[in-house]
Amino acid sequence: MKKIIFLLTGFCFFFSGAYALAGTNEVVVGSVTPLTGKLAVYGEGFQQAMLLALDEVNASGGINGKPMKILFEDNNSTSKGSVSGIQKLIAIHKFPVIFGPAASSNFLAVCPIAQDNKVILIGAESAASAISTCGSYVFRVFPSDLGQGKGVAELTDNLGYKKVVLTYVNNDWGVGLAEVFKEQFLKNGGKLIDEFAHDEGKTDYRSEILRIKKESPKAVVNITYIKEGATMLKQAYETGVNVQWLMGSASKSPKMVALAGGAAEGVIGTYPTFSQETPQYRAFKEAWARKYPGKKMPIFGEYNYDMVKLTAKALKGAQSMSPDDIRAALIKASKGYIGVTGDKTFDANGDISATYGRWTVKGGKIGDYK
Amino acid sequence: MTYYAQLVLNGVIAGSIYALFAVGLTMVYGVFRFINFAHGELIAWGAYLVLLLINPPFSVPLYLAVLPALLVTMAIGVGQDRYVYQPLIHGNRITLLIASIGVSYLLRNTIRLIWGSDLMTYGIRPVRGIQFAGLSITPTQILMIGAAVFFLGALYFLLTRTMLGKSLRAVADNMELAAVMGINMKKVSLTVWILASLFAGAGGFLLALDTNLEPVMGMTNMIKAFAAVLLGGAGNVWGALVGGLFIGIAENVGVAFFSPGYKDFISFALIFLLLILRPKGIFGVLTGVR
Repeated sequence: MKKIIFLLTGFCFFFSGAYALAGTNEVVVGSVTPLTGKLAVYGEGFQQAMLLALDEVNASGGINGKPMKILFEDNNSTSKGSVSGIQKLIAIHKFPVIFGPAASSNFLAVCPIAQDNKVILIGAESAASAISTCGSYVFRVFPSDLGQGKGVAELTDNLGYKKVVLTYVNNDWGVGLAEVFKEQFLKNGGKLIDEFAHDEGKTDYRSEILRIKKESPKAVVNITYIKEGATMLKQAYETGVNVQWLMGSASKSPKMVALAGGAAEGVIGTYPTFSQETPQYRAFKEAWARKYPGKKMPIFGEYNYDMVKLTAKALKGAQSMSPDDIRAALIKASKGYIGVTGDKTFDANGDISATYGRWTVKGGKIGDYK
Repeated sequence: MTYYAQLVLNGVIAGSIYALFAVGLTMVYGVFRFINFAHGELIAWGAYLVLLLINPPFSVPLYLAVLPALLVTMAIGVGQDRYVYQPLIHGNRITLLIASIGVSYLLRNTIRLIWGSDLMTYGIRPVRGIQFAGLSITPTQILMIGAAVFFLGALYFLLTRTMLGKSLRAVADNMELAAVMGINMKKVSLTVWILASLFAGAGGFLLALDTNLEPVMGMTNMIKAFAAVLLGGAGNVWGALVGGLFIGIAENVGVAFFSPGYKDFISFALIFLLLILRPKGIFGVLTGVR
């Protein structure tokens, strides 16, 4: 028995050693990506955008002559899968940099693991404000909800609504955004008539709607997703609730308008935006069309592309491949870095700033609110 | 006051659909003594088959699509029994339970395969609810209550006034004895499966009409139905009916006192309490279609 254990340990050492040797000729970055499960529809697009950026990095000399590679680890769109994915990337592959999974709850699940192991974690899709305080090794090229919560509060203020009902989806993302909204809104002199969380993924929100109806507010701030938003708008319409709905970016989707079947008319919301007129954006669009002809650009593809490009820049400037050196190089590389999605300068929390646009539904179509 | 009245009304609407599901589930339990976990999938299939028929290449108007969709749902229900449960009927009840979980996965993922995981809708424009005395109810919701009353009324008539219904109750009481007395077991089991799938499919369609469709819609409602069955005492048809209504009303009225986010918590906490205090259900009858 002892012999077997000895042999097995020997094998493990042998293979881990072999891996490290193979790694010296290339620079490998890990990525926990939803390639199966409910987020797989998005995950494929993230992966394609990352691979597009990778091609460009390697075409222009890689990381100081060494080719850059991304090792994708599927997380089955779950927190559990994300945790085992990142543990594999850290413990077995010992990668200093890992691209984190989509969906805030998945990202938050792997955050402490990266921080404890002093491994750099970069996100391109997760918005929860809690990620800002996750740790010093955690960065994201996607704007935090902190900004959007303030954005919705300002929108409410600008439209002249002083008393509103606030409802939000009951998860990390929703609660975080609601907190930020509340703080800013109350500071602006607003008043909350009622506030409550609603569950994710239900088909019946009539009791929630009734609670809104009872207070007969002029406006309701609803921080929610596509499906939940559509169902609530539809059922509010049926119940005869006439309010101005104010929403965030997560419900901004033609699918939401289609599901609400006309009841989404007149909704106003905010969303993080970036100019599509910049040379960076045009270059990305052309490169995408060249690599993936006929394929629609995926949601958040631009952010994933920026993440890989910025990471490559940092790796080039890093003094060594130790996480601390890369971290210093990443902060330096981000200073004034203008990517496809705008300025990616990291602040003290590893967050970037963003500009916010306003959207509305008019004639069954989503457009900019003016 | 109207606020509470509206909450109760909403509870009755939700409860009548839960009752439809629960009655089917409990009937199967009453006769075959196992909880059919694939019952929820009949709900989803009823809804999705209508979706199939109203879209190209069939493009049938909605009201014409319902009947054929329900017929196919019944065929799926009967098929479950014939090809999966009947061959296993003389084995352990746990075997049947596990087989039904397998069938449930198969049916649910077939929906995913054909229609995808995304949310779907029949694409009917929402209409303003009818207002009376400060209460609001949509035509679809009236249809939901109406369908529940019609189907459960018909079931009452069948169980109490017809020979078939009486034999069904006899089989639920004691299967061997009923068989010895010359009751046609095939006919009885066919009836049970047809009724259970009809109720599930019709409820699923109405639910989808009221809200929307997704592959897991069956599973979520199956959990509520299962709770209603427990509440009414497993195998007790009228207990399941009352249990369904009770859960619907409790979770809707509870919203007045708790955050709506805890809606499911309210209904399940009540079930928890009832199971501790009255383990045989509210009516204190353990088995049998009464």
